[in-house]
Amino acid sequence: MPKVTYAQPDGTETVLDLVPGTTVMRGAVTGGVRGIVAECGGNLMCATCHVYVDLDEATPAPFSPVTPDEDELLDCTATPREAGSRLSCQLGLTDRTADIVVRVPESQT
Amino acid sequence: MATTVGQPAEHDIGLSRLRHDPYPAYRYLREHDPVARVPEAGRYLVTRHADIMHVERHPEIFLSSENPSLMTRSIGETLLRQDGAAHQRLRRAAEPPLRPRVVKEHWLPVFRRNTADLLSVLAERGEGDLFADFAGPIAARNLAALLGLRGVGDEDMRQWSQAIIDAAGNYGEDPEIWARCARAVADLDAAMDEILPVLRRDPDPSVVSAMLHADDPLTEDEIRTNIRVFLGGGLNEPRDSIATATYALLTHDEQRRDVEAEPALWKRVFEEAVRWVSPIGMYPRRVATHTDLAGRVLEPGDKLGIVIASGNHDERVFDRPERFDIHRAETGHIAFGGGPHFCLGTWVSRAAVAQIALPGLFGALPGLRLTDEAVPFEGWVFRGPLRLGATWNS
Repeated sequence: MPKVTYAQPDGTETVLDLVPGTTVMRGAVTGGVRGIVAECGGNLMCATCHVYVDLDEATPAPFSPVTPDEDELLDCTATPREAGSRLSCQLGLTDRTADIVVRVPESQT
Repeated sequence: MATTVGQPAEHDIGLSRLRHDPYPAYRYLREHDPVARVPEAGRYLVTRHADIMHVERHPEIFLSSENPSLMTRSIGETLLRQDGAAHQRLRRAAEPPLRPRVVKEHWLPVFRRNTADLLSVLAERGEGDLFADFAGPIAARNLAALLGLRGVGDEDMRQWSQAIIDAAGNYGEDPEIWARCARAVADLDAAMDEILPVLRRDPDPSVVSAMLHADDPLTEDEIRTNIRVFLGGGLNEPRDSIATATYALLTHDEQRRDVEAEPALWKRVFEEAVRWVSPIGMYPRRVATHTDLAGRVLEPGDKLGIVIASGNHDERVFDRPERFDIHRAETGHIAFGGGPHFCLGTWVSRAAVAQIALPGLFGALPGLRLTDEAVPFEGWVFRGPLRLGATWNS
């Protein structure tokens, strides 16, 4: 099962073993991870499940690329967009997804 | 009727009391009975923030479809009362013009023009009712543009919207309310007859056009029906959020000075206004399967009222929630709802109200002040000021 580490701005971390088929957002909401609001429930309308996925250049991209709908919402996040910004509702997990660390931003609204 | 039947003595939660000022009752319910049976409303009222979030995160347990429903009876089966794939198909078709990029590139200039037009007339008058003379008309004019309606005046929009809303809340079966809604629907249908063939030929960035030309296009009947619900719901929320935010700033001098000095704060003014007095205070859900909510056992068919106005005043989330405070640290209001039915107009309202209408109003009317600070607010399903008498230097 893919292991997702949610790193909070205060340095605390939550590590969850998530079942394939779920998303980084849904895992956080179900697991009660602070800071992932997900107002629209994964319908690509709200930009409140923003996370940073920091990868070095050698690591293969674990998730499908940003679509135009996700891209425009990433311009509307509460904390500034960075190169690794993603909406966690779009980060689907499979049984082949490598363990990953995502940074939770300071705020979502 | 202010009294309720079959309630514990301490309850006394009647609809007339809720309409006048629901917040004391909500405070009581959050503390003592967070999923409270309120017979006069025919529902359990869900009043805590965390329970509302739970409901919105489990749309498979808490359904939006309701049959019979006063709304379905008055305007037909709209996306607001559907679930799952059927809801998603309608929503996907309506959504493209309401996404942030189109809002920024296409609608912002439209909202700016509409606002400037209205304010240039108002500025010379020196006094007026900011609710009837500004908040209502700007909401109507922007909505007509968004939907794609042409040649429909602000006053027609207002009357149709009110007729549809009144019918959706016609629990008393008043025949005059049904008749007024039927007339509004007929008039709106006539306006749709004019634009449907035009927009089918020449697409534009409007909602009706998007529905006609979606990947999975909607039928003309589906479009007519769903435009009715956008008219009912899309007018009073921007109107009431403008009126509430204006009232709040005109009664909180320090915060007014803060935002006039730092325009980036207009966003906070808007978000705090819809938290403080949420324009939609309650919406319905129906229980699909045996479940438990805050210790209350619920059975299939049970009806709920999701009281986001109360969730937005939950002391467990917001410090001194009754205070209007644009500087409050806590975020996470639920005025736009959540889950699959998350407000379609969220991005539009942020642009139209926070970026354009509010800064425009305070900028165009120097010396703006209320003539009487005792502004009446009313409603619990929908809530906002009833009038907002003001003067300014002309």
